[in-house]
Amino acid sequence: MATEHNTAVAVTFDPSLGVDRRGTKRSVRPEPLPDKPPRPWVVDLAAGIAGIGLGATTGLAFTAETHSELVATGGIWMFAGNLTALVGTYLALVMVLLVSRIPAIEHAVGQDRLIRWHRMLAPWPLTLITLHVVMTTIGYAQAAKAGFMHQVGTFIKSYPDMLTAIIGFALMAAIGLVSIRAVRQRIPREAWWTIHLWMYMALALAFMHQIALGPSFVGHPLARAVWSLAWLASAGVVLAYRVGLPIWRSFRYRLRVVAVQQEAPGVVSVICSGRNLDRLRVSGGQFMLWRFLAHGIWWQAHPYSLSALPQPSYVRLTVKDAGDHSRAMADLAPGTRVMIEGPYGAFTKHSQRRRRAALIAGGIGVTALRSLLEDMPGGSGGARPVVIVRASRPEDIVFRDELAALVKHRRGALHEIIGRRSEVALDEATLSSLVPDITGRDVYVCGPEGFVHSVTGALRHLGVPRELVHHEAFSL
Amino acid sequence: MRRIPILAASTIAGLAGVIGFHSSRSTTLKSLLASQAAAGGRTTPKTHGGRSPSGSSLPSGSTSRASAGSLSATGALEQYGYGRLAVRVTVSSRRITAVSVPDIQVADSYSGSIASQVIPMLRSQVLSAQSARINGVSGATYTSEAYAMSLQSALDKLHFK
Repeated sequence: MATEHNTAVAVTFDPSLGVDRRGTKRSVRPEPLPDKPPRPWVVDLAAGIAGIGLGATTGLAFTAETHSELVATGGIWMFAGNLTALVGTYLALVMVLLVSRIPAIEHAVGQDRLIRWHRMLAPWPLTLITLHVVMTTIGYAQAAKAGFMHQVGTFIKSYPDMLTAIIGFALMAAIGLVSIRAVRQRIPREAWWTIHLWMYMALALAFMHQIALGPSFVGHPLARAVWSLAWLASAGVVLAYRVGLPIWRSFRYRLRVVAVQQEAPGVVSVICSGRNLDRLRVSGGQFMLWRFLAHGIWWQAHPYSLSALPQPSYVRLTVKDAGDHSRAMADLAPGTRVMIEGPYGAFTKHSQRRRRAALIAGGIGVTALRSLLEDMPGGSGGARPVVIVRASRPEDIVFRDELAALVKHRRGALHEIIGRRSEVALDEATLSSLVPDITGRDVYVCGPEGFVHSVTGALRHLGVPRELVHHEAFSL
Repeated sequence: MRRIPILAASTIAGLAGVIGFHSSRSTTLKSLLASQAAAGGRTTPKTHGGRSPSGSSLPSGSTSRASAGSLSATGALEQYGYGRLAVRVTVSSRRITAVSVPDIQVADSYSGSIASQVIPMLRSQVLSAQSARINGVSGATYTSEAYAMSLQSALDKLHFK
């Protein structure tokens, strides 16, 4: 099977193809549709809007209650309950937007950083909303001179939308519990992912009680309208960019598997054909979420890097067998339909600040490095990239020949570091001897999380400025 | 990191914006009820007589003689599940001519909005029933009961049967 595909000349990715095209047509635009450079001001603008929202939401809590309401029995608890509710819910909205795949933000920040922010923020809304539930109930119970549990009963019986809100909170709390690191590590990734998507449901269930009962919204039609609009717009953004755009793109490019080739033990490349691929704006180093419509795996979308820039009618992704999904890649039948989401990621030539670059990949990280390298210009003004590839065994190095050809054309240097991590370290000494001018170069690091962590640590010790270090970690 | 100043500055701007906007135009339940009472016609006279009410927890509760032949009294401050209220009634030639709620405190805004919807309905029920024996408003049982009880205590002060 594999040999048959290997001999299919039409689908083989020849790195010299990219080289020739660039070499001969340097004066014209090398790509039919180059990826647009990211716009960092979009992120500044988003940060500004997020800040105004946070301030306004906090302000709503402070203006909701009059002095007499505050000094009444339970008033302080109700105020605190309202403040935590508003700020917590607002932060939940920000979390939703951080992962809503807004293209301009994805492009400027990079998805792994956005997800890191999303994770960093996560404990706050959960804690604040839990505090809200407890404190507001205490406040109402004191005002009604009732017990805590009795008040919970009253909420369900005689307050509108409270039953759905309580269900929403229970859901939220359950998701919060399974997201605690110790618990999460015991759950398969797909199961956790599916559970945690229920957060959308939890937030929707909790929405109505906010505007029906929230002291900042009852009798304040303007605040109510703005709050509702913000949520509606966010729901629209999520639907548009997480559902609508991927469906549209998948339909537009109509990808199908044409061949699966083995690159190294446990590493396969999947080559897909499609239409309009010259219109696909993708930068080397980016990844897409791939959904293969095959039995057993159609419901999962996984992030895999493009291991080469799209050629007129083919794209190639390369996958290391690290889980059920990636293992299934080897058995994909030609003709399988493919849906895509993306491309995502800021691990591209656009992040480059200096003229020269160094590219460092560990293990399967070489896939993203390969397409990034292909995207870097050759010639005298080029990045003269120093490429360092690390693998445990010689046969594990993927794209050896392709890398060599690409590096040669860009007048760079290629170093292969082979050996177990315990035996051959990619430490400060090695890095500075392989790349003597490393502090003056942009350094791109790509690979498993542990690898990226140790290399970026070494770069920091070597004094490479933070803004020159670009990394993308693959969580396997 | 460099976006922290942007975040901080815009947060302060948002906070200041909302608080500034709020203080320029704010409505409270009391002003809402007062405006509804005013729209409802006769407001209760503000003069207070000297007679201290019996059995009322409301220190300012009193009966008063306003215009010729009309008597007003404020009933006991009734606690109910979501707050407390006192009803003031005016009786003229053996008819209830005006009912209002001069004192109300609610636990939360939702209860406040319920009260501001329900109280005008209770008022018209009283004016047509000419007594504290009213049906009340379903969905606002506690408020209706408190309203009726405070009204009854006000009527008792005026020896209105």
